[in-house]
Amino acid sequence: MVLEEIARVLFWLGAGEILARLGVLPFPGPVIGLVLLYGNLLVRGHLPENLGALADRILQHLGMLFVPAGVGVIAYLDRLQTEIVPILAAVIGGTVVTIVVTALAAEHFSLRAAQRHPEPDRKVQDVNA
Amino acid sequence: MSMLDPVAWSALAEQPVLEIGATVFVFLAATHLHRRSGGYPLLNPTLVSILIIAVGLKLAGISYDTYLRGAGFIHFLLGPAVVLLAVPLFRQTALIRASGPLLAAALAVGLPVGIVSAVGIAWVLGARTETLLSLAPKSVTTGIAIGISEKIGGVPALTAVLVIMTGIVGAVFGPVVTRMAGIRDPRAVGLAMGIASHGIGTARALQMSEVAGAFSSLGMGLNGVLTAVLVPLAFTFL
Repeated sequence: MVLEEIARVLFWLGAGEILARLGVLPFPGPVIGLVLLYGNLLVRGHLPENLGALADRILQHLGMLFVPAGVGVIAYLDRLQTEIVPILAAVIGGTVVTIVVTALAAEHFSLRAAQRHPEPDRKVQDVNA
Repeated sequence: MSMLDPVAWSALAEQPVLEIGATVFVFLAATHLHRRSGGYPLLNPTLVSILIIAVGLKLAGISYDTYLRGAGFIHFLLGPAVVLLAVPLFRQTALIRASGPLLAAALAVGLPVGIVSAVGIAWVLGARTETLLSLAPKSVTTGIAIGISEKIGGVPALTAVLVIMTGIVGAVFGPVVTRMAGIRDPRAVGLAMGIASHGIGTARALQMSEVAGAFSSLGMGLNGVLTAVLVPLAFTFL
């Protein structure tokens, strides 16, 4: 029953929010709920079919759920205007730097790991091809 | 009862159907526009919807608080949606176990670099503290980033927009800059795009290859959870 899975999600969300509000854990409540649900699934050892379907339905339209929060930016248009240079530089520069540095580190790591433990059938696909 | 009965109209204004309906309708239209453009990243449906609704509210003279009271239900769904991110992560448990060391290496570099590069650049260029705090979780998927921003004293609404801008930058520039840097391993490219630019970058990585997409979505999920844990912890100790 899908209702059971909705109850399961709300249960772990509620548990996460309570742990966050009580100050037990300093993390956002929904993230605590995410980790608790993941642990719940690991213990069960399988994903209930209805939960998978529910997740696919909701996450498919995840982008819509950010709209009400994002519209709140109209209260900060002045700030966006006065700080447009630092904000754009941070968003564009920071993101490009992060992608390049992370990709270089990951590739370097996997090449070194491959040298230590050569896998004969390991193919490196060329994404640029 | 006349169609123009003011009592009926004011009753409608008390119901959230207008705000929810407008949000769903605008997002649906923006999604169609995005698809018809062939997935052009600048036409990201969330960003387009935010712009249209923001302009609409301004023209109609409706305050943000009034809108949020109505659209609150959609906002509420963000909590359950974040919890549900456990499902795609659970589906990839085998991949997480098989590639554990690679994931750990990418996250150990990408997570701090993502935060420090953004906050550092903005700080050097003289941004206010509140803006710096709103920027810190910019690489993390929006639902989680809003929660982090709230925890550390940023502005969640500003964070939401910065996160989406970050995703767009990652989707537009990610493939180009990794090619220029000579990176050929699709796992490395995918991880980097997911860690730096969350779901929007992941959608782009999926177009590059299935391997890049799978690793990108892993990078996004793990980076989201770890950032939500580490950043507030760092703030309690600082």
